Amino acid sequence: MSLPPASGTGRYFARAAKSIRLIRQGCTNRPFFHISVTHRRRLNSQPVIEQLGSYDPMPNINNEKLVALNLERIKYWLGQGAHVTNPVAELLGLSGFFPIHPRSYMTAWRNRRTERENLAKLEEQKAKEATTAS
Amino acid sequence: MLSQNSLLKRTWPMVVQCAEAHRKPRWVPVAKSKVFRVPKRPVVSEEERLELLRLHNNYKTQMRAIRRFYHEEMIKEKQTRESASSEMSQRLEAEEWARCVELNEKWNAQVAIEREERRKVEVNQLETYALKRMQAVDEKRVQAIAKASEEIKRQKELSSTFITPENLEAAIDHALANPTDYNFAIDLKGNKYLGRDTQITKPKEAASSASATA
Repeated sequence: MSLPPASGTGRYFARAAKSIRLIRQGCTNRPFFHISVTHRRRLNSQPVIEQLGSYDPMPNINNEKLVALNLERIKYWLGQGAHVTNPVAELLGLSGFFPIHPRSYMTAWRNRRTERENLAKLEEQKAKEATTAS
Repeated sequence: MLSQNSLLKRTWPMVVQCAEAHRKPRWVPVAKSKVFRVPKRPVVSEEERLELLRLHNNYKTQMRAIRRFYHEEMIKEKQTRESASSEMSQRLEAEEWARCVELNEKWNAQVAIEREERRKVEVNQLETYALKRMQAVDEKRVQAIAKASEEIKRQKELSSTFITPENLEAAIDHALANPTDYNFAIDLKGNKYLGRDTQITKPKEAASSASATA
């Protein structure tokens, strides 16, 4: 069975609210996402209006998570007033098309904080071991 | 009532996999062991909350600006498309058309020259081919005539032995005087004995001589 065209096969209603979102296309234990524009009230299992890109969340051998974006069409759909979901907004922020999403900042500082705490714990353990050894 | 046609024409499969099929149904109550469990709320410090608020406010403002920009661009584009029939664009289009026509004519002339050359070559080839065929046909005819004349010569030579009404009687007499018998017999060794009434004596003699020696 061939893949559906990127132009989408979903029915299009001009006045209905659109949303640019991630749509999971992978199989079990192998996530893969299409970045597609579809009606806001439509299920992810239903045909989309248009595919605007793809996102592979699993790092490849070069430790890269690949994202493809059709910026021209994203611009077009933003001009049409399409909404953008948070994950897609984060990706667009990291790609430099949007400002960085606050959630990206939040995860970054939270990760930094847990790392700092882990390091402190390790040092504490080392100090304890040193005292017991001496 | 669903009609057969509507079922056939449906745009997506009827069996839509539900993401929460593994959850328990809504009418099943909370488990006894979990009745008094109070889920732990995520703790967000005041500092972090204020920072997130600031970031979100900034982000929303910037996003609004971006959205407005793209929306206005879309409107502008639409307007330019609608005003494409203005005088300026018409003149530009006419110039473009003239340039295209000129280029097209140039290409056409070039192609015409090439075609003429190609046609000359093709005509030459055709002529040589036709001439070759004609020559072959002529040769064939000459050969056929020669063969026929040879045949005639041969038949003329043979005609001296033909039986004609004049010498018919003589031929009949000759045939009756010399009867020819084409019948013959073959023995086991392959010896041929011509004639119907020939007396066969040799094999008997051979057999008697063979028995005498044995």
